[in-house]
Amino acid sequence: MTQIRWRALQAVAGLGTRRPGRVYRWSIVAVCVLAVIVAPWVIGEGAQRFLSEAMLMLAMAQMWNLLAGYAGLVSMGQQVFVGLGAYGLFFASISLKVAPFWVLPLAPLLCAAVAAIVALFMFRLREAYFAIGTWVFSEVVSLLISKTERLGGERGVGLPTARLVDPRWLEPLTFWISAAIAVASVFGTYALLRSRVGLGLMTVRDNDVAAASIGVDVWRNRFIAFVIAAAGCGLAGAVSFTATLYVAPGFAFDPNWVVAMMIIVIIGGIGTLEGPILGVIIYFALRETLTVVFGLSAGWYLIGLGMVAIAAILFEPDGLWPLVRGRLGGDWLSVRREPPTPPRIAAATAAAAGVRSSPHGLGATPGDR
Amino acid sequence: MIWVETIINGVLYGGLYGLLGVGLALAVGVMRVVNLSHGEFIVLSAFLGVSLVRVVPWLHPLALLLPVAVIAFCLGFGLQAVLINRVVTRPDPFAGILLTFGVAVVMRNLMVEIYGADPRHLQAGHLAQASAGFGGLHVGVLPLLILALSVALFTALQLVLTRTRFGRIVRATADHRDVVRLMGVNPGRVYNLVMGLSLALASVAGMLLAIRASFTPYSGVERLLVAFEVVVLGGLGTFWGAMLGGITLGVAELVGLRLDPNAGPLYAHLLFLVGVLLRPNGLFRART
Repeated sequence: MTQIRWRALQAVAGLGTRRPGRVYRWSIVAVCVLAVIVAPWVIGEGAQRFLSEAMLMLAMAQMWNLLAGYAGLVSMGQQVFVGLGAYGLFFASISLKVAPFWVLPLAPLLCAAVAAIVALFMFRLREAYFAIGTWVFSEVVSLLISKTERLGGERGVGLPTARLVDPRWLEPLTFWISAAIAVASVFGTYALLRSRVGLGLMTVRDNDVAAASIGVDVWRNRFIAFVIAAAGCGLAGAVSFTATLYVAPGFAFDPNWVVAMMIIVIIGGIGTLEGPILGVIIYFALRETLTVVFGLSAGWYLIGLGMVAIAAILFEPDGLWPLVRGRLGGDWLSVRREPPTPPRIAAATAAAAGVRSSPHGLGATPGDR
Repeated sequence: MIWVETIINGVLYGGLYGLLGVGLALAVGVMRVVNLSHGEFIVLSAFLGVSLVRVVPWLHPLALLLPVAVIAFCLGFGLQAVLINRVVTRPDPFAGILLTFGVAVVMRNLMVEIYGADPRHLQAGHLAQASAGFGGLHVGVLPLLILALSVALFTALQLVLTRTRFGRIVRATADHRDVVRLMGVNPGRVYNLVMGLSLALASVAGMLLAIRASFTPYSGVERLLVAFEVVVLGGLGTFWGAMLGGITLGVAELVGLRLDPNAGPLYAHLLFLVGVLLRPNGLFRART
């Protein structure tokens, strides 16, 4: 674990190519942490809310990227976990009569459990069939909750237990938790992809026949990715709806959640860890420009984003990150592994056979499939 | 007796659902691309119908099926030629669904901006209320007409694909895109025509559905899911499979609504999930 964390920090502080000293790296991390801690007193409430939203969106996009860019699972029903996380948190908090933040871990647990069950039959579907199968599942859950009066029905439910939190701390706490979730989503995915599971996923993505022939368990690796992505979306969704203090099926299971995740990942660069970060920045910059500066309605900004996404798929299927990468001194969070040096070969032959993965998702290595 | 009537209505409604799905089945079967903007085109054709009715109010909406279908054919041809053909040869299987999903997002929000989010309805005059009685059962004339039209279109499609030169070219392209090039066929152009045909069928279904049920710019999601469920449930190799899939879903939905009036499409979705669970292997043979 220490090893993984160390590598992650190395990646962010070392910026790939340079190898500065330990003190330098730790001081950068310390400055970042300090900046997040003091931010609520420096920036206004509106900016806090905006940044929280962006960071939660980054976490969700990163989860979708893990599925689509690495696990080969395009889920169009990821909003079901956003909604389930929110409902799980609301009902745990209301029935236990505790402040929402205390029961936060229950949301990802609920989503992980649901995802584990759903995967058992959704994994029988492939590609587009899986995409729409998950979407149908999301609709079913949404309709079931709309019909259940005990869960608030179509009108939804509020979060009265939010009063148990000191109102002065509600916004900063949401902000800090959102920041922690965003960082965890990036570095957690990084750690996962550097692990055996991640290597397996990328091997399958790049060449499933070769992967199966060296004994990679395709189903198991995808299952782990699906459950983790569900938990991540559930956690982000729970925090997101805690901030609004109200949840209803129309908002919680809105397909626009997955639309946003997809557009962010495609614009930034599918199958790279930096892509969603860049994508979130572009997504929110575009949104603020179109809606605040030009005063356009939400519909027009979705039209604009959709067109940008279409253009990205047609002309830059790897997203914008590969274009930016060169200027920033290489990958920040590379999950690519160097071929082992001779003494290590004996130990790693099996693992190395299929891990020369391309960092690209869409239109991966030419010639495969 | 009420149950017999419900089931008959379900069958009539299901014929329409089959029509919603058959265009999608055609596109999936020939191009291996699931067009996620299929539902948006279904709704768009309904809006086109509403607009045309305003221009020529003296014409019955059913007479507008042909012009709307022609417009939809051109849109489909253009969509395929300008956008989808650029990604259809990529090795990545997701490029097509992501691209068409982007198209769906753009179209849905454009329709919201142009037409507003209020529910609309296509008026069919006296025909909508007319009903025929057979031995105590009352069945609407319009639903019967719609089913007859669906069956006619299914038959026509089947005949075109099995009996004509164009149909042979389409089937050959679906099987071996690279080999038909040797015979002087341009797969891209075949795809353009097939997508045009797919959306023309979708537009007929969209217009007919707009007469039977109200719609908003957001209905595309629901329509796409129904169309997709029809394709998966009916993936039996012929388009009659899609018809059977549609009828199954239609009956499930109406019986569900009879048992539980505010269920919406819940029972159709549940039936689909159970179908996927029980028959996963029968699902992938959706070919022409």
